[in-house]
Amino acid sequence: MDDKYDLRSLFIGEDSLIHDLVTSGLEGTPLEDSSSNIAFGLGTFAVVNIVFLLLFFSQFAILWIERKAVARMNDRRGATTALRSLWVGENGVTGGEWWNMLPFGLGRPVGAVNKWLNKRFGNRSEEFETVDRVNNRSWMGLSILPGFFQNVADGMKFLIKEHMVPRRADKLIFEVSPFLIVSTTLIILGMIPLSSGMYATNPDLSILYIIAIFGIAPIGVFFAGWASNNKYTLIGGIRSAAQLTAYEIPLLLSLLAVAMLSGTFNIIDSVHFQHTAGAWNLFLMPLGAALFLITMIAEVERVPFDMPEAEAELVEGWWTEYGGMRFGMLFMAEYIRTYAACFLFTHFFLGGWHLPFQGTIGQIPYLGDAYLLIPGALVVLIKAWLVFLIVFVWARFSLARIRTDQILEFGWRMLLPLAVLQVVLAALYRLYLFDVEGMSDTVAGGSAWEAFGIPFLIPALTTILWLAIFFLLLNDTGKNQDEERMYHVQTVQPAGTHTPGQD
Amino acid sequence: MWITMGPQHPMTHGLWTLRVKVDGETVVDTEAELGYIHRGVEKIAEARDFTQVTPYCDRLCYVSAMTWANSYIYAAEDLLEVDVPERAEYIRLISAEIQRLASHLMWLGAFGPDIGNLTLMTWCMRDREMFLDLLQELGGSRMHYNYPRIGGVKRDLPVGFADRTRAKVKLFEQRIKEYEMMLDQSTIWLVRLQGVGYTRAEDMVNSGVSGPNVRAAGVNYDVRWAHPYSVYDQVDWEPAVEKPTSVKGADCYDRYRVRMEEMVQSCKMVLDALDKIPGGANTHYSTGDEMILTKAPTRAPEGATGFSNYECTRGASKFYIEGGGDGRGKNPYRLSIRSPMFITIPYVAKTMIGYKVADIPAIMGSFDPCIGETDR
Amino acid sequence: MSITSEQNEAAASAFLEQAEERFGGSGVAVSIEHHSNAVKFAFVRMTCPPQHWVALAKWMRFDAGINYCSMVTGTHYPEGGDRTWGLVYHFLRQPIRDVEPFTSDVLKAERLEGMDIPLEVEVLIDLPDGREPSVPSIQSIWIGADWNEKETWDLVGIKFEGHKNMHRVLNPHDSPEGFHPLQKQHKIRYHDYNEMYDDAQGFVRKPADEGRVK
Repeated sequence: MDDKYDLRSLFIGEDSLIHDLVTSGLEGTPLEDSSSNIAFGLGTFAVVNIVFLLLFFSQFAILWIERKAVARMNDRRGATTALRSLWVGENGVTGGEWWNMLPFGLGRPVGAVNKWLNKRFGNRSEEFETVDRVNNRSWMGLSILPGFFQNVADGMKFLIKEHMVPRRADKLIFEVSPFLIVSTTLIILGMIPLSSGMYATNPDLSILYIIAIFGIAPIGVFFAGWASNNKYTLIGGIRSAAQLTAYEIPLLLSLLAVAMLSGTFNIIDSVHFQHTAGAWNLFLMPLGAALFLITMIAEVERVPFDMPEAEAELVEGWWTEYGGMRFGMLFMAEYIRTYAACFLFTHFFLGGWHLPFQGTIGQIPYLGDAYLLIPGALVVLIKAWLVFLIVFVWARFSLARIRTDQILEFGWRMLLPLAVLQVVLAALYRLYLFDVEGMSDTVAGGSAWEAFGIPFLIPALTTILWLAIFFLLLNDTGKNQDEERMYHVQTVQPAGTHTPGQD
Repeated sequence: MWITMGPQHPMTHGLWTLRVKVDGETVVDTEAELGYIHRGVEKIAEARDFTQVTPYCDRLCYVSAMTWANSYIYAAEDLLEVDVPERAEYIRLISAEIQRLASHLMWLGAFGPDIGNLTLMTWCMRDREMFLDLLQELGGSRMHYNYPRIGGVKRDLPVGFADRTRAKVKLFEQRIKEYEMMLDQSTIWLVRLQGVGYTRAEDMVNSGVSGPNVRAAGVNYDVRWAHPYSVYDQVDWEPAVEKPTSVKGADCYDRYRVRMEEMVQSCKMVLDALDKIPGGANTHYSTGDEMILTKAPTRAPEGATGFSNYECTRGASKFYIEGGGDGRGKNPYRLSIRSPMFITIPYVAKTMIGYKVADIPAIMGSFDPCIGETDR
Repeated sequence: MSITSEQNEAAASAFLEQAEERFGGSGVAVSIEHHSNAVKFAFVRMTCPPQHWVALAKWMRFDAGINYCSMVTGTHYPEGGDRTWGLVYHFLRQPIRDVEPFTSDVLKAERLEGMDIPLEVEVLIDLPDGREPSVPSIQSIWIGADWNEKETWDLVGIKFEGHKNMHRVLNPHDSPEGFHPLQKQHKIRYHDYNEMYDDAQGFVRKPADEGRVK
């Protein structure tokens, strides 16, 4: 279903504002005949700029989430990243009792729960003096996005740093590769729609185009690694080329599955499909969604897949020799690629600009209209940020780095067969389980995935099935000793339980 | 192709060079070069009084200063033939074990990011702050304390120290469980550390490696019970030992687990010692009181020697002092320091052969190098 | 929980007997000394002439079970005469053996006996004046002696015959030939605050050429 707010109709088209303005403004001048072309040019320019700048500057939210939000959660509020420590944290000090900050005393039940959890599972010495920690330090007294301008300051810092080319580096390629990487990344931003009426351009085969562009960056990476005349960067570049190549294929296959399911190679149409057919792709192909996320984390080279830029051995990997703004651009490019990945996930699997339960709630008389007033662009942005926070950032700060050969083995031997499986499943779903009659473009959405008369049965069953498989796999069976202990074996004995001298 | 890792490198935990010959991603040969922060402590000590040497020993391994100062003090007490009151021994034990906790947390805080888990740096630094605060109460500064004296300790436990220590140690015992949840249940962590960097116990002993690295191979040899020096046999503890899972010996995972277990044992030791300390943990004797300090002679005649064997956080540290130096025996004639890491680092460099480049930080980090003590 | 002094004395005397039996009367002097610190344990001190050193080392390693070479200390005594250069080796006998997988070696301290009791051994070698100080290397007997010997040569100047790949380890690689800092002709002294600063707190540093004869 189309979003209410249609930016493009404001700028482009026969009955748009710009067209009227330009036509009326150019009446009588020699340019009168080409006024619609000029209007088109101006309108397109305006739309493209607005969308691109929105996308580009909303990226600061990403940077803030990654660098500040989690750190502040850890440090200022006393929570560590393991859920368990939300109550093991320092008690008795306001710095740890973050719930007191909630207005109208809304936090008191949280405090009660925390206290009980602490009693039951936590530090049992409530009467002892505990650790004093830094209290809440908001920005000028307002707790609004503290640390926001740090990222701006970082960008400015990059601008004033020295740009050096290593002595025997291949100058042309050394200079070209950041541009290659960054330019291809920015092109992707041009393809991503913010809603049905707010996009820069919409070619018919936009899915293909995006993936093709995504795949040019590895070449730039390899150029950078080779041209820097540095053994470290060479190793980093080679690792990166191998890793990115290995993970392109499951990525492509999972997107192929999405395209097959939606019946179209166009992003906007595939988002529409999710509404008209009635279920978000996440529930129809959870395996594909998981594959997409994992391969995207590998494509943007974040922990756990950041071996190419592993600081421990390679300083910064293939980025090492870049200084100043080139490094800034490469740094930014990584975040732009991540952001683009979040957007793609939002559009392909989470229904794009459609609000959750839009069909059901939209039909309620007054509440539904108010619900539908929420701009689709905002919905897309929030979903992308949440995907970033929950998937990319959480994976980054809880997991370690996987070794290159393990990454490659994982990609080729485990993800590729799963991706092929997903393609097969998508084809089967579309052919046999899809009910074309059920598609409908109304506010209520369609219900093309019903079986035996129960609407939404197929996505529900699919989700339950894959969740069950996931939980089954989660239970390690290899708890007992294996001769050559390799992958999925738990610790032989946890610390604190082993009594040497006794067993 | 020879790659030079160091001297400035995020992985090396200090200032030394590891030259690695790689064939693709496989390590074929290694060479370790030390000596970048050789400060000549052994020579400097020949111009210092016995008490003036203690701050230098703090700075040998700056991460684990209390244990090194204690190690020197035991050697000086052997040389000068001084008896130490029991309360002072307890205080030394408490301070050494708190220092062991802080040092192992520093190790973990550097080891996690080596493997890729950047969060560990923040967690461990934050928890280490608790123990640095405690040590600051004892010694006056967070890392270099100059706290033990020949014949005892400089000052007694401050008022309220016992309560604060108990609170912090108990909180930390819960925190260790959190670390384990994050690490031991993460397949990625296990995959990176298991099967990497095998070392056998007898090889290690032959090469002079000691301490937690050897205990990871299944042998619970610990200087604290084998050559006892303080009140460790009155405190309830067990040496931390890990069972190796392969005939090839201990891997990085075993060495990591040994240190986690050691932290748990140190917590137990501190709590127990606070309960058993003679005179009570809440009494505070004034500086120089005979409960915490015996007046020690300041001169050592020629021909006298002192030797100490001490379980530092990274292995067994030994001091050998010969008396009869300048100032008619006021200075040591020769102070010789044996650092466990000086022997271990070349051994580790040879252990890395056959593994991948990406395993180098895992192996190196699991041995817990500290270059301050290596180069002296 | 720890090794008791009876075990320690028993181990020391047993070792003493073995050593006397093997090397008695050949110039190797063996005695039991006691530490003066901690629990005042006994250790074995042997004084060995350089020509018997390799034999003693081999005997210690292979027959007496000394498996750990911990420390090599070299000292320079300028007016020593017979003892111009002193070498002190510290060894340990440790009850460490490889273990089967999934087991750990349970060493109950009270139950250790015989050769399993940890023991400290100190070996003193004196080198007289008048020749280049040199001692056979034990690098091939204990690997742990390798870098210790490198350090001793680097800092003190005692050569180790038969040591492969001797190089500077703590001093820079390009230090001058014959520069060994721990020899006593290189003077070092302590500059106290009176000498370095104008005030007692140490804020005002004296100029660098203070006290120099101009």
